[in-house]
Amino acid sequence: MKFTIDRYQKILIFIIAAYCAFVGFVNPAFFSITTVFDIIRTSSTSLIFAIGLLVVMISGGIDVSFMAIALFGSYTTINIMIAYGIDNLAFAVGLSIIFGAVLGLINASLINWLKLPPFIITLGTQNLFHGIMTTFVSDKSFGAGVLPPCLNQFGRATLFQIQTGSGTIGLSASILPVVFVALATWGLINFTMIGRGIVAVGNDEESARRIGFSPARIRYYVYVWSGILAGLTGIVYVAQINALYPNKLIGGELPIVAAVVIGGAKITGGDGKVFGAILGVLLIYLLNSTLILIGLSSSWNDLFIGSVLVASIATSSYQERIRNRKNLIFTD
Amino acid sequence: MTNSLKKKFFNDINFTILIGLLIAAIVLSAIFLPGGMFSAANIKSMAFQIPEFGFLALAMMLSNLIGGIDLSIISAANTIAIFTAFVLNGTWLPALPEEARIPAGLVVAILTALIFGVFNGLLISKTSAPSLIASLGTMILFQGIGMALTGGVSIGNIAFEFTDFGKAEWAGIPLIFWLFLGAAILLALLLEKTAFGRKFYLYGENKVAARFSGINNEKVCIATFVMTALLAGIAGLIVLSRVNSAKVGYGSSYLLQTIIVCVIGGISPNGGKGRVRGVFIAIVLMQLMSSAFTMLSLSPYTKKLIWGVVLILVLSLNHWIRNLNDSIKKEK
Amino acid sequence: MEPILNVKNITKAFSGVRVLKNVSLTVNRGEIHCLVGENGCGKSTLVKCVSGVYTPDEGEIVLNGQRFTKLTTQQAIQNGVQVIYQDMSLFRHMSVAENIAIEKIRAKGARLINWKDVAGIAAEQTRKINVKIDLEKEIFECPIAIRQLTAICRALAHDAKILVMDEPTTALTKNEVSQLLTIVQELKSQGMSIIFISHKLDEVFSVADVITVIRNGEKIGDYNRAEINEKRLSELMTGREIDYPRYRRDFTENTPLLEVKGLSRKGHFNDISFTLRKGDIVGMIGLLGSGRSEIAMSLFGLNPIDSGEIFVSGEKVSIAAPQDAKRRGIALLPEDRFREGLFTDLKIKENVSSTVIDEISPRGCLDFSEEDRLAEKCIETFKVRAPSRETVVRSLSGGNQQKIVIGKWVETKPNIFIMDSPTVGIDIGSKAEIYEQIHNFAKNGMAFLLISDEVEEILANCNRVLILEKGRIKTILEAQDLRQPDAKKLILEEIGSRDLQPDTEPSTK
Ligand SMILES: Nc1ncnc2c1ncn2[C@@H]1O[C@H](COP(=O)(O)OP(=O)(O)OP(=O)(O)O)[C@@H](O)[C@H]1O
Ligand SMILES: [Mg+2]
Repeated sequence: MKFTIDRYQKILIFIIAAYCAFVGFVNPAFFSITTVFDIIRTSSTSLIFAIGLLVVMISGGIDVSFMAIALFGSYTTINIMIAYGIDNLAFAVGLSIIFGAVLGLINASLINWLKLPPFIITLGTQNLFHGIMTTFVSDKSFGAGVLPPCLNQFGRATLFQIQTGSGTIGLSASILPVVFVALATWGLINFTMIGRGIVAVGNDEESARRIGFSPARIRYYVYVWSGILAGLTGIVYVAQINALYPNKLIGGELPIVAAVVIGGAKITGGDGKVFGAILGVLLIYLLNSTLILIGLSSSWNDLFIGSVLVASIATSSYQERIRNRKNLIFTD
Repeated sequence: MTNSLKKKFFNDINFTILIGLLIAAIVLSAIFLPGGMFSAANIKSMAFQIPEFGFLALAMMLSNLIGGIDLSIISAANTIAIFTAFVLNGTWLPALPEEARIPAGLVVAILTALIFGVFNGLLISKTSAPSLIASLGTMILFQGIGMALTGGVSIGNIAFEFTDFGKAEWAGIPLIFWLFLGAAILLALLLEKTAFGRKFYLYGENKVAARFSGINNEKVCIATFVMTALLAGIAGLIVLSRVNSAKVGYGSSYLLQTIIVCVIGGISPNGGKGRVRGVFIAIVLMQLMSSAFTMLSLSPYTKKLIWGVVLILVLSLNHWIRNLNDSIKKEK
Repeated sequence: MEPILNVKNITKAFSGVRVLKNVSLTVNRGEIHCLVGENGCGKSTLVKCVSGVYTPDEGEIVLNGQRFTKLTTQQAIQNGVQVIYQDMSLFRHMSVAENIAIEKIRAKGARLINWKDVAGIAAEQTRKINVKIDLEKEIFECPIAIRQLTAICRALAHDAKILVMDEPTTALTKNEVSQLLTIVQELKSQGMSIIFISHKLDEVFSVADVITVIRNGEKIGDYNRAEINEKRLSELMTGREIDYPRYRRDFTENTPLLEVKGLSRKGHFNDISFTLRKGDIVGMIGLLGSGRSEIAMSLFGLNPIDSGEIFVSGEKVSIAAPQDAKRRGIALLPEDRFREGLFTDLKIKENVSSTVIDEISPRGCLDFSEEDRLAEKCIETFKVRAPSRETVVRSLSGGNQQKIVIGKWVETKPNIFIMDSPTVGIDIGSKAEIYEQIHNFAKNGMAFLLISDEVEEILANCNRVLILEKGRIKTILEAQDLRQPDAKKLILEEIGSRDLQPDTEPSTK
């Protein structure tokens, strides 16, 4: 399997390019390396979330607890680090990832056991995880001064810097985990047997079982992977904002779902591309951050994103329906 | 237990459990919150609080009964309220005489609800998009409309005759509670006694078989989402009337609670099974718990934990009962 | 002779209905073992028990001398069981190549996928059975015949010890079928055991060493090919030398109730014209993918046509949805009664009334006593064996379920009744009862379009038969043709499964 850009992705790229051209035409200040670096930095956490969610959606599931997992992982980890005076980035990432994996495991177990729509189950665990964290860990906020310095160092680190007219700007190191996660997930999906099992289960659970995959086990992999990525993102997020709050992130799940759907993942499972999810997030970020540049206030964000989302859902679902009907398959 | 008694018990075990839970909640709060919970003042305040949430829960119930979920109800409620508020405070149709504002506002509310409902219904029935994803799109879209119009500020200064409605009482009971009660009874009759209700349940049970039975699935689907939007719109108007203003983002925490209420009320997330009366009792139960939480001045985080635990617990309990039921059947 | 597979006294029930009753089966190394039996007698269920998809309620399976009471799919694959499932069991959004190769690569225990291997395996397999398929295409873009070939390739890719083929030829042309049967013989000579399921008895006779007959979930017996002939076999399958009473149309009035002219839909069917008169029972028969179900769906408003005209009682109509069809007096008994025909978790009465909700709701309010009455009438007319009208449909037997589906459409008093495979998975008793009802309704003027795989069924019921091939009507047989003694042979020949030159000489081993 080579890395290919399918037709849907081409359309997305075209839309993004056309939109950028339009924004740049209205406001030439848009075309600058600063913009690019900015988008990369601010979208990095969403990108990792989206990639984690993509894997879940390919398997035919959905997850709305990843923000709670990210918060749980990072908040608890950093609380421990503050309490014991640990200042080590690897420790932070490692522990947060472990928390993420465990919570993902809980999600998978509940879904496997209750056999109910994963949306409802993860909506429950979202509240459960957040509630447990705030009730039993802590619900205090921590400012920059108390946080382990390694976090801020990472948050401000740049890979390289460029001189521009308005000063020096650098490419945020946050891109490293994004690139790593994107490549790892792409590899996982396309080059490992587990990954093909995820695709197979998403396509048809029964058929996957017949050729020897265990859908229950595949779901463990999927939700644990999504949990691990969430744990990682939690640390990246805290490093970027350089403060620790017990109530951030939560509530931001659905826009990520929207991005992944715009990126071409099927909620019915079996189909979805890492590159598509990245494009989906970028499109949403562009709309979010550039409306001001074309003279609209940011209150127009949702209207634009909603329209794009509805249009993309309508076209892709309709195509699927036509194809199914052609094969005399009725789903509703 | 004799066999027929056993059967009866298990047939409506959900309702039996609900009644049991309700009694337990009443007894517990009578013991631990004497005077507080069942003071006349508190009962009245509960009766004032139930409807706005209750209408949303009924809306969620309808979408659950057809095997879907409607994430857009809350943003629809808010945006409908915003439209109405613009008419009521004279921003729109300023030429209208004062006394015509309320009727005009109601007409606008109904029209908006119709448009939103038809839009959802068309999107879902004509493209076969899964309602979870489709309503995520319309949720962002409806919210985006409200946001673009208001910029996120609350729209107030509305005709005070309208705000009186939210405070009015009849026979010592809030008018809005009568309204809610009436709506619930009407809905129960509609679903259980009429031709439409039967088609609605058949559609929820097995959409494909409904289509193959010559039921007009598109019509049923659109009607359902129109009712959903109307119920949401009423909730929006009640909020508008009670808090005197409309705003994007109000009541977003209700989403989880409406889903919990439906699950507790015995609505199967897979559609086709469940009745209004169960949801009604679950709504009352929910309000008892909310009141108790307020009296105990629990933090929002603790509440979250409890809601999460409740949802997972109820799902597990249902699962356990189902298994028990099956094993009893097998014995036979 | 050493047995490689031993199925011992297997029983399997679905929601209380036993579909396999104490079935045993022994397959030897290097043997082609055919399973035959009527639609729904339990062949596929037996196969799924052998491959670990279902766990039998009772009994055990001995594979390579190893005993299993709870066989998993992985264990079955490890022990060399490969299955071509009847529903093909493919992955829609995966390429043909991956569908062919993935199971083999997985079973080798590979953790990583090498896409060169995938392409290699796929190419090798398609070459082996000598077909040309675009290996890069995703399955959902492929027609049914390609899917069947893909499923065959996937099973062959494996170095299986036991290859189970559950109706692998339903969508294939004669050439492809004979190619496949040659390969089956080859595999046998290499020592592989093959369980072959087919309704086409000529295929069975051309490859079988042993034939096992299953009837209604019970094993009737094992027979060497040499000791049995086709006639005897069909008797064993159906249980008696049944001669279903034949239907004779005796109306003189010939104005068409339904007239179809030049109906076409790209990729489905082409230029289909026929008429249904009062009291006609017209049969439609052909391979999977020949267009028969597609035509039925079009007449019922579920498959839009590109061109052509439909006349109901002389009036030109456009049928865009099932409710239009219902209004015009057209009823459809769908092929898949679980998904399309029934609300399995609802009661009999709610199923029966599902087509006439508006009719039993004066001023929009359901008349529950009328609903009860309809249900009682249906139970009585069709002799539905059920405790009461309140019984949940899921717990009925297949035959009684099907009667409910027919009954719910009879409530609409249709003029034209389209039936797609009405007796699949139904016991002989119910089958005869259903035929009797069909004849009764036809004698009262209802017209039927009967789609079936079973030639016997066509012969017993139809006074005209349309034989379809690749979306076109190939032959029309009239009542007098059907009364010829060799009508069955004629139909089978026309369907196109006969030119394999089965070696009717019993081979000596
Ligand atoms: N998953 C299931 N749930 C309930 N009933 C089932 C299920 N699978 C099969 N059946 C029923 O079991 C019976 C046997 O089905 P099976 O598919 O084994 O028949 P078959 O002999 O393979 O028929 P065919 O020749 O049509 O393929 C049928 O009556 C069918 O309706
Ligand atoms: Mg079968």
